[in-house]
Amino acid sequence: MSTSSTCSQISEALIAGRQEELLKHIHSALEQGTEAEQIMNEGLVAAMDAVGQRWKAGDMFLPEVIRSAKAMSGAMEIIRPKLIESNVKTMGTFVIGTVLRDLHDIGKNLVAMMMEGAGFKVVNLGIDLEPQVFVDAVKEHKPDILGMSALLTTTMPQMGEVINALKEAGIRDQVKIIVGGAPVTEEFAQEIGADVYAANAAATVDKVKAMMSAA
Amino acid sequence: MVQTMNQTVFRGPQFRVLTDSQIERIYGAAIDVLETVGAQFHHEEALDLFRHKSDAVVDSDNVVRVPASLVERALRSQPRTITLQGRSGKHLLRMIPDEVAFGTGSDLPFFIDRTTGDRRRTVRRDVCDAGKIVDYLPEYEFFMSHGIVTDAPNPQTYDRHQYLAMLETCTKPMVLTSVDGEGLNDLWRMACLLCGGPDNFRMRPQFVAYIEPISPLNNDRTAVEKLLLAAEKGIPAMYTPCPSCGATAPASLAGMLVQSLAETLMAVALCYLKQPGTPLIMGGVTTVMDMQTTTYSYGAPELSLASAANTDISKWLGLRMFSTGGCTDAKCLDEQCAAEQMTNLLYAHLSGANLVHDVGYIGSGTIASLDSLVLNNEMIGMVRKFCAGINTDDDHLALDVIDEAGPGGEFLTHDHTFRHWKEWFLPRLQDRSDWDTWTADGSRTIVDRTREETDRILAEHEPEPIDPAIYSRLRKIVKEADQRHS
Ligand code: B12
Repeated sequence: MSTSSTCSQISEALIAGRQEELLKHIHSALEQGTEAEQIMNEGLVAAMDAVGQRWKAGDMFLPEVIRSAKAMSGAMEIIRPKLIESNVKTMGTFVIGTVLRDLHDIGKNLVAMMMEGAGFKVVNLGIDLEPQVFVDAVKEHKPDILGMSALLTTTMPQMGEVINALKEAGIRDQVKIIVGGAPVTEEFAQEIGADVYAANAAATVDKVKAMMSAA
Repeated sequence: MVQTMNQTVFRGPQFRVLTDSQIERIYGAAIDVLETVGAQFHHEEALDLFRHKSDAVVDSDNVVRVPASLVERALRSQPRTITLQGRSGKHLLRMIPDEVAFGTGSDLPFFIDRTTGDRRRTVRRDVCDAGKIVDYLPEYEFFMSHGIVTDAPNPQTYDRHQYLAMLETCTKPMVLTSVDGEGLNDLWRMACLLCGGPDNFRMRPQFVAYIEPISPLNNDRTAVEKLLLAAEKGIPAMYTPCPSCGATAPASLAGMLVQSLAETLMAVALCYLKQPGTPLIMGGVTTVMDMQTTTYSYGAPELSLASAANTDISKWLGLRMFSTGGCTDAKCLDEQCAAEQMTNLLYAHLSGANLVHDVGYIGSGTIASLDSLVLNNEMIGMVRKFCAGINTDDDHLALDVIDEAGPGGEFLTHDHTFRHWKEWFLPRLQDRSDWDTWTADGSRTIVDRTREETDRILAEHEPEPIDPAIYSRLRKIVKEADQRHS
């Protein structure tokens, strides 16, 4: 079987969210000697791009998209080590959490899942987090991107506190910062010195990808 | 004289979503959840109450499971009626089954600016304006802040500033959100100043405390702290689950109702252990997560359906109900807005819920709009007319009038018309004129007329002022809170 037909089988399985089938195709492609990089670019990333487009077009819906994202996350468990082995640049690491005194996590978790779907290694820190927790996580996981979520006008300023704490720790420049949540705006994101704001999970993936390719 | 016998009369249209047997199934399932799954509590006193004052089981991960017997004892201790009173004593709001009151929602972060038409952050002034509108408009019986005071000196005391702003312009009973137990205690102290002390407050509470669990089946420290304080002081509380089907609750409405009911009953049990008889109002903004946008939908038909089902359950349990209506996912006053707000207003009323809140919300619970409040007043008027049903007594059957007019006669000049037409709904903002009149008047839409009415109310209405001596004591409580948190 040709490599391209395997890649299209991988794509198909991923778009359909059939994880078992997806992993089977990936293993057989690897056995046939297909490069991990090719599997990722022509199979996985292409499929997730299609999923994103179909979602926006109203041809796919969240429960289906999440299935694909979860399958993607499983696929990346296999592919990521191989990419690292052969020195290929991976999508990187994304750390996300909800700020202090804020317990809202539905949107944050969706963003985390979508970022997994985009191929990132995701560390989800949880809710109601002290600024220090974000600082420690940046030190520990060395993420490319840090995401913060706040759903309350009263907790939004905490995102600024985290950025200050990162500055104080001297590591603000090591990470891109993206923020979101219902009361957050583009303007506010700029005010506190975040790099990017995204209004929803789908936009988050687009903006992050744009940012990564600009970097 | 002939007397009529064995009549059954509808005082309004009859509406139900669930039969008693369906409710029994949902209740049975909720009890099952309480006995086998349980709910988590992040609060020591609550855990101790369950451990030592009841036969509940507290597992090592702070998950509490309660038996049906406790739940049913707790339910029996619930008052069947609660009466709220506004600060001036003029507005009473009695909650008994199938008496429906409408009110706003709270805390919206954004506000449609009336000069620019744009979205901006809500400030104190906006909450005062919303209060004025609610104070003036006859179809609103209670007030929630509509917007959130974002210009308070400290986010940790915004609730006191917000209550004071609400009190300045509104004399109707209120439902209040609070930061934590300390905040709620201050709000209660403020209300006690207005009604003459804790005993009076207990008899005629000035407000209901709005509190929420975290679906699924989780109770955070501040929520429980508020619940226990409410029980201690005799503050009526609502513990309203906000599940979004498919995300924090099953996607099937019945499953969501089971889970929400379990959450509510857990709070009923806890309040009972703290202080039997604590008035606990059932609630919920029960809706679906939109699977295209991820929005928590305020305009979905499922919201109306699930809220009405919850109201059926509340009546069966003997609890009062805090429901949702007059809200939309639309971002401005457009056709979608009117369609969604009207739909959920109508079904909330038909269901017979006691307090229907979030009236006027636009933008899926993120945007406040004064015009939306004014327009909803008109829509509630229509809904209320419909829900008043049809009177079939002799005067209304009008046999003699039909007889007098006879075939080919007329009714316009008849006394009966003169007496009865005022029972009809009288549109104030709707347009029923002919094309020529409408175009000659500038082809104005209902939104144009609503804006003018909002302007007029803001300019003309003067709410009854608060006694200056009491006002300065209220301010003192707010100031002291600011000092504690500075
Ligand atoms: C569900 C809900 C709750 C649930 C939360 C359950 C949970 N597990 O998260 C419960 C009931 C617990 C809750 C509690 C409270 N809530 Co609440 N809640 C909501 C509600 C109705 C929906 C939120 C939601 O889940 N939306 C669906 C998700 C998918 O969308 P989302 O969160 O916006 O996330 C999307 C984007 O914002 C973005 N995004 C989110 N995070 C991030 C992060 C990054 C990095 C990026 C890039 C993007 C991004 O992408 C997401 C996916 O598309 C909102 C109203 C609203 N429309 O926002 C109120 C709302 C946020 N809550 C509000 C309030 C007031 C409260 C309480 C204070 C109420 C009270 N007094 O008790 C408490 C506070 C508890 C606390 N300390 O945090 C207010 C906030 C008002 C304000 N001005 O600050 C709102 C706006 C409702 C209102 N008008 O009253 N709430």
